[in-house]
Amino acid sequence: MNPALPELSPGMLLAGAVTAAAASLWLLLPRGSESRAASRLGLLLGALALAGFIATGRRLGGIGEEAVFLIVSLVAVVSGAATIVTRSPVYSAIWFALALFGVAGVLLVLGAQFLGVATVVVYAGAILVMFLFVLMLAQPAGLASYDRVSSEPLLSAVAGAVLLGLLTLSIGRLSAEPAACCAVPARSAMLASDAATAADSGATPAAPAAAGAVVADILAADHVARLGGELFGRHLLAVEVAGVLLLVSLIGAIAVVTRGEAALEADRRESLGRAVR
Amino acid sequence: MSPSCMLSIPLMSVMPVMPVMAATSMALLQNALIVGAILFALGLIGILTRRNLIVMFLSAELMLQGISVSLVAWSRHHGDWGGQVLVIFVLTVAACEAAVALVFVLQAFARTGRLDAAAWQSLRESNIARSVDHELPASDAVAQVWPQLSPAGILPEADADETLEREHV
Repeated sequence: MNPALPELSPGMLLAGAVTAAAASLWLLLPRGSESRAASRLGLLLGALALAGFIATGRRLGGIGEEAVFLIVSLVAVVSGAATIVTRSPVYSAIWFALALFGVAGVLLVLGAQFLGVATVVVYAGAILVMFLFVLMLAQPAGLASYDRVSSEPLLSAVAGAVLLGLLTLSIGRLSAEPAACCAVPARSAMLASDAATAADSGATPAAPAAAGAVVADILAADHVARLGGELFGRHLLAVEVAGVLLLVSLIGAIAVVTRGEAALEADRRESLGRAVR
Repeated sequence: MSPSCMLSIPLMSVMPVMPVMAATSMALLQNALIVGAILFALGLIGILTRRNLIVMFLSAELMLQGISVSLVAWSRHHGDWGGQVLVIFVLTVAACEAAVALVFVLQAFARTGRLDAAAWQSLRESNIARSVDHELPASDAVAQVWPQLSPAGILPEADADETLEREHV
């Protein structure tokens, strides 16, 4: 990958990466006497070691994508678990942001570039910040008692584990009987065959060209353009409905928050009554 | 979390009966589906067991993320855009849901002063027993140490209106 180091063998690269990783961990671990320079050097060495590991993987061939998938899915799952077990809701929201980054990585590995970016922008950039705003508005000082006690943790953990086991079972069956599950042909293939039959009957001469344009290669270079074409072509009505939904929820949220003068007056009287009591 | 990593190895060893391209595609599909299933199950556990309203909504968003991963994995497997388009709509609906839900959370907090879901248990069915915290921890095991500033300057005058404003927030 790096043109400066074409002659380094994977073995040497791996040995260097391992050494750098060990040295970085030794520098970063608490050893009694702390120094800023040592920890910085440790971080730098750690980054170098990671780069070395990735380069080795690429040099050995093929494991790059799987390694990246493993890392990002681990990030997603571990921080997803941390989201639900963390006591403090603020930390929980921040762990959820990390989980979002892991999910975005998984989507990128799966070839959904636009969705990976959109997840980070929409969720981590907008929705999560809204959650944090509400937390700052509503969080009482310190940890509340209801954050330290959950309702029926054993039962729900068992339920979740059983659900996960059943899902894993059925997912594992997918590879056992490929004919049963994967009989659905790709839509592009269906479209192409439709177009071919249409062209055979001579009904629409433009059909083959249209089918060629629609051949949905998910991994095409102009991925975003094709996704946009699909979204605003075949699903245009749904886009309009989504726009209406956004508008309705906007108006609804405003209408619930501002409850009108009468309700405000009633609130003021009630709080005055409480203060007098 | 371990099934996602461990499953890839047996799947890859089962695969050679299939063509190479299909094998990697199927392995990727299954790994991604399992990641999605784990995220969904985590979100389910969170929404069942946590009591903070905001953490409950975060768990619901976690479930949506799991669904998104599964949809995109199927989209990749079939070479079809449908899954990805559906994820875009999931994002849209999640944004709407978060906005409206947070408004209701704020209203609930304004009424009870707590973000506790159990604060609303008076709405339960009449034949369901009241949930009571039997073993409430007195305080956290590790006491949090906050930074302290030495007081300086003049104490500002208390605002009379402020107490009334705070009363119903």
